[in-house]
Amino acid sequence: MTEKSPTYYERFSLTQRIEHVVMLSSFTTLAVTGLPQKYALNSVSQFIIRLLGGIDGTRNIHHVAAIVLILVSIYHILMLGYDLYVKRVRMSMLPTVQDGKNALQAFLYNLGFAKHRPQSGRFGFEEKAEYWALIWGTVVMAITGFFMWNPIATTQILPGQVIPAAKAAHGAEAVLAVLAILVWHFYGVHVKFFNKAMWTGKLSEEEMLHEHPLELADIKAGSAQLTVDPAQLKKRRRIYYPVAGVLAVILLLGVYAFATMETTAIVTVPLKNGGGAIYSPQTATPLPTHFPTHTPRPTDTATLTPAGATPEATVTLTPLTYAGFAGPLFQQKCAMCHGTTATAGLNLLTYASAMKGAKDGVVIVPGNPNGSKLVQIQSAGGHPGQLSSDELAQIIAWITSGALEK
Amino acid sequence: MRMIRPGHGRRFLWIMFLILGPSLIALAISMSVARPAVAAANPQPVREGPSSDVCLACHNQQAFQTQLQSGETMSIHIDRTTFDASVHNQHGVSCVGCHTDISNVPHAPGTAKNLREVAIQYSATCQKCHSEAADKAMHSVHQKVLDGGNTDAAVCSDCHDPHAQKPIAQMTKADFANTCARCHNTVFQIYKTSVHGAALIGAGNTDVASCVDCHGVHDIQDPTSAAFRNAIPQLCAKCHTNAAIMDKYGISTDVLNTYVADFHGTTVTLFESSTPDQPTNKPVCTDCHGVHDIVKVDDPQQGIAIKKNLLVKCQQCHPGVNENFPDAWLSHYIPSPDKAPLVYYVNLFYQVMIPSVIGGMLIFVISDIIRRLIDRRRKGAVHQ
Repeated sequence: MTEKSPTYYERFSLTQRIEHVVMLSSFTTLAVTGLPQKYALNSVSQFIIRLLGGIDGTRNIHHVAAIVLILVSIYHILMLGYDLYVKRVRMSMLPTVQDGKNALQAFLYNLGFAKHRPQSGRFGFEEKAEYWALIWGTVVMAITGFFMWNPIATTQILPGQVIPAAKAAHGAEAVLAVLAILVWHFYGVHVKFFNKAMWTGKLSEEEMLHEHPLELADIKAGSAQLTVDPAQLKKRRRIYYPVAGVLAVILLLGVYAFATMETTAIVTVPLKNGGGAIYSPQTATPLPTHFPTHTPRPTDTATLTPAGATPEATVTLTPLTYAGFAGPLFQQKCAMCHGTTATAGLNLLTYASAMKGAKDGVVIVPGNPNGSKLVQIQSAGGHPGQLSSDELAQIIAWITSGALEK
Repeated sequence: MRMIRPGHGRRFLWIMFLILGPSLIALAISMSVARPAVAAANPQPVREGPSSDVCLACHNQQAFQTQLQSGETMSIHIDRTTFDASVHNQHGVSCVGCHTDISNVPHAPGTAKNLREVAIQYSATCQKCHSEAADKAMHSVHQKVLDGGNTDAAVCSDCHDPHAQKPIAQMTKADFANTCARCHNTVFQIYKTSVHGAALIGAGNTDVASCVDCHGVHDIQDPTSAAFRNAIPQLCAKCHTNAAIMDKYGISTDVLNTYVADFHGTTVTLFESSTPDQPTNKPVCTDCHGVHDIVKVDDPQQGIAIKKNLLVKCQQCHPGVNENFPDAWLSHYIPSPDKAPLVYYVNLFYQVMIPSVIGGMLIFVISDIIRRLIDRRRKGAVHQ
């Protein structure tokens, strides 16, 4: 068993590999922050959005990742210019008719209608398809993203409907891109054959033979590497650097404008009420209060007269009769309840009804104040419409004198 | 063996206790929790004490009134006919059912210094039977304002005169609005002229939103809060996605999903679901349609179906935008060849593009997988 160390061929330079990592990080970030916005009502989306600090946080991350992807695209354009103009490398990524034939042959081989798989050069049709899909996707996303990020500037020139159309395209293109990566890219470089070239930068001779046999043949034949005259290289660099520099400045200014051109809305709509004063009553106070008469409630100052108080104590000019004294007093003090309402059946408003008494018997016994229920209740005190001691003494005198009507 | 057995028995009892104990406690708790809820749903009328007739013998007097410490005169007259027809009387709730502080004659003077205090104090009484409504009211904006020292805030009796309250079933939507109007008259006057208010107050149409439909009844929340604002789309949607109501007036029930599908609506929906208390600067229904002053969208003066009126609304948040800008909003239309054709055809393009591209990729990938499996097996067969 002799262990022969295999020969390796460089496939991607370190800067290309870094470029790939930056691009894949920004792409993934964009997908993770973008798709939940497209499917915002989905509970998984809402979980992700919450995890990223709410919708505003999610959008900020999305915007930063978008700028990173645009910057890496600009870098790619500048490096491509260098490779093509200064180094004059072959445009090995350009799709050709042969790629179409190869794709067909590969499919026919899979179906059993072709004898061999097609042989790939530096880039197979699978890789070219993916590269150009990425270019298409990035252009669509950048343009539609610009429209959504700067709707006011966009509608200065284009009709308003472009904005929702851009949103529709941006979301659908995202779905297309993510699905293409999952189906095409993952199968092509992770499932079918775990291709580590993008990380190690190289492929073994056996892997080259398998994946890029035509390129390997070119390398072996010495026709892959173009030898450039150092003087000419220097001359081309002298032309390319200033051009690329100017282009870079213009593109970077464009990116700056992209990100800062406008704030689409005022910061916060002030919270407001539905208009007008909140408390504006129809009447001064909701409870009715206009009754301009005396207060009927007994006052605390009312003093009580014990039964048997002497009538001599008071002097009155009115005759001690119902009509002259008791009637008006009853009217004033008792009629609230013992009037037409006849609480407990007692109506003191007329002489006849007063003498008739309450439901359960007479209340005034002529000549016998102590036997009269009216005197008993009033003497006990605390009755609503309580008589003053003077008034009670006069009532007692009136009853004592026979409780006459006139 | 004999020595061990009783130990086994005790252990068994312990295990049973550990298993059954918590479940019994849980059962007891669930039953005790369930009970007050039932009681609250069926408040028992108070039938103890003297009948209302005894009180009304005096209080039915027209001019019955008393003076409070503040000098205000308080009518203590209760109209017998009104009280007899009231929901309380009909359910056997007598005067002393609520006026529990009154037990003898003459009545002890109350502690309330003025009319507002009387009303506020008596709210505690309502709670005894109406615990559910009272609990809600305790968390309302009225209660919060009251706790903050503003005694103008409504308490139970401001909306429900306890001596005259009719059964709620006998009240109309307009009655509710008129009740709110007693304190919120400015808002009511604006509402009365809106598409909702004019239909309700003017034409007696009960399909439209009245105060309580949006603000709720007892647990009324602060409508100027971020939480309330974020919930507005769902609030309007309660009626505006109901085809049974909207079809009568030819109003689209797609208003919510078209709003949610748009940038503004998506954002507000996300705020509502994740951070409901955080204010968002994206518009909700009322920012464009108005609040109490909502008019028909085709109203020639203010209707926002008219582009120049809508532009004014856009400019509230996007100052300086031109007349192209309002078209960025699809006016609740689902894109179609007539309405928003550009959006419609972009969607159509991708509806064809995505399945064909991804489908094509899948067909190739699957054919490739099968071919490789076959090749591997053949190779294995050759090796054998």
